[in-house]
Amino acid sequence: MVSTIQNTDVKQKDADLAVVVAVTTRAVFESADDDGGDVYGVGVAFPLLQALHKVNERLLEESPAESLLFDVILITTDDEQQQQCSRITGSTRHYGLEVSRFCFSSQEDFTESLLKNNVQLFLTTDRNEALRASQNGVLSALLDQQLASCPSEQLRVMISGDAVLRPDTDPVPAGQKGAQSFSTQLGQMRQKFGIFNSPLSIVLVTLHGGRESCGDALRTLRSRGVSVDEAHCLAGAPRGPILSVLRSHFLLCDVVSCLEE
Amino acid sequence: MSEIKPSEVTTVDGGEEKDWAAAKAFFDNLKTNKPRPVSSFTQVFVLSSSVSLTDFLVLNTIINLICLMPFPSQPKPRFAVTIAVSSRTLFNMVAERKIYEEEGVEKYVAHQVEHESEPLKPGAAFPFVQALMNVNSRLRELYPDSEELFDIVLMTNNHAQVGVRLINSINHYDLTIERFCMTGGKSPIGYLKAYMTNLYLSKDSEKVTEAIEEGIAAATMFMPETENELSDTQLRVAFDGDAVLFSDESEIIVKQHGLDTFFEHEKEFENKPLAQGPLKCFLEALGKLQRKFYAKNERLNCPIRTFLVTARSAASSGARVLKTLRSWGLEIDEALFLAGAPKGPLLQKIKPHIFFDDQMFHIEGAQELGTISAHVPYGIGQKYHRGKLIEQPAKKE
Repeated sequence: MVSTIQNTDVKQKDADLAVVVAVTTRAVFESADDDGGDVYGVGVAFPLLQALHKVNERLLEESPAESLLFDVILITTDDEQQQQCSRITGSTRHYGLEVSRFCFSSQEDFTESLLKNNVQLFLTTDRNEALRASQNGVLSALLDQQLASCPSEQLRVMISGDAVLRPDTDPVPAGQKGAQSFSTQLGQMRQKFGIFNSPLSIVLVTLHGGRESCGDALRTLRSRGVSVDEAHCLAGAPRGPILSVLRSHFLLCDVVSCLEE
Repeated sequence: MSEIKPSEVTTVDGGEEKDWAAAKAFFDNLKTNKPRPVSSFTQVFVLSSSVSLTDFLVLNTIINLICLMPFPSQPKPRFAVTIAVSSRTLFNMVAERKIYEEEGVEKYVAHQVEHESEPLKPGAAFPFVQALMNVNSRLRELYPDSEELFDIVLMTNNHAQVGVRLINSINHYDLTIERFCMTGGKSPIGYLKAYMTNLYLSKDSEKVTEAIEEGIAAATMFMPETENELSDTQLRVAFDGDAVLFSDESEIIVKQHGLDTFFEHEKEFENKPLAQGPLKCFLEALGKLQRKFYAKNERLNCPIRTFLVTARSAASSGARVLKTLRSWGLEIDEALFLAGAPKGPLLQKIKPHIFFDDQMFHIEGAQELGTISAHVPYGIGQKYHRGKLIEQPAKKE
């Protein structure tokens, strides 16, 4: 059973122009030290939500009538969470999170909820959920535990250079289309800010390829209107140490294999 | 000071091995040189024989596939001797820097993007990088499967849009630089550590100082006024002794108590090794690669040569230095004791690809006579200029 509730505390975004990002409640709220109180603890995706909010804030500062904003919705993906409706909405209000809608669904039908709500990016800490959503044509990214230590004043999105390079196949698979259009929208948002002091930073990371791959990726992204801020080419070096310095919130990748890595 | 990387394989997490396997699979195990540009090669082929369109397309595809895997796999950071160079040391970006300082970052980036297809001119670290590449070729000949090589990483604060021009320039000169970090303004220190950097070269003395404080060998590079002709078969590296290879403990005695006290002290403590300086580990890394050539009977033809160029004199204070090196198990090929004579003329004869010194006085002297110099901002020498204590402005609390 799928149901959607609007958050009346928050101004609803433009249905056509806003970029809908769905985050699972499990990622946002911590239920481990559950004392059964009214309000959940802060979860791993908190800095991410704050960073998304920061981008919106700065976009509106630049242009008060801006409609290209992030539209953040919370989505439950299992029956247990589905029961906790009032606790979820209550916790959201308590922390003053800029969430416009709540989608309550179960394990079986959450992908339906994603499609119904025109979700352009689905963020979860659960790899299986990400795979399922991806297989159903929704761009997904995996959130990991180091997200908790990521900055909250700047949204840092990592784009995989190895994936950008893929030759354009005809017809373009649904997964790729999603990633391309999302990165284009990010590019449009990014353009509203100057080089320094931007609330949004786009980081290109080439894990396997060398400088040729990276150069091609930079040019390809530029042709799509995405001006990358940082570029890191690893050419096969161990990724752990570099990624932990980078501290990006999530990796944008248009191939399912990225989620399987 | 930065520790030399362990050479035996320690347990790695599955992620690292997977990266390595994936990279190898991606590159294929082609150990040939860089590919020729596709278009010119196929053009020549087409011109030289009558070939049908389909043949041409097939050939082009094959060449494209080969070109996708153009180079031997990169060594893993923990085995390699990693040299991180900044964009301004690798290339001459003086004119562009001026635009950045006078017109701001947006104009600077726009300028770089506009001139993207124009390769940049070589910078101070360029000959050094080429010499490193030459050593790698020699090492690959003798040890085709070894990962104990130089790994050159471009470490720059530049915005990624400037990166395209940097990549084009690297392509133009055929440099084997496959790894880079374009941090878009963020500090490079974390990345230097992530790459287990053995030496960091930059034009920015603040970053260099920060790196040294974090235990990474680093130096600020200076372009010479004239250019000496350098060897293209042998990497030649010259080091000052005190406050570069060794700590500044003796330097302190000279500055605070004078030369006589210094000589007495050094004679008295001749058999006590000096403490390490910031570049000791880099010399150690060079030594490790040198021994690989000795092991294959290439001592006379070794493509790495190291020099100690010190103001100490052989008679009085030199012994302690040599004994210290011996106690560390390090060799230096030539030790030159100047007893206070200027270093410039001697360096002009040695023609190193890089000369490290902690005192700007010596750097300037070397620069004037055509030696590429690198300042190591470490120790008591930083508080003095030409023998006089620099007045430090009172630090604000």
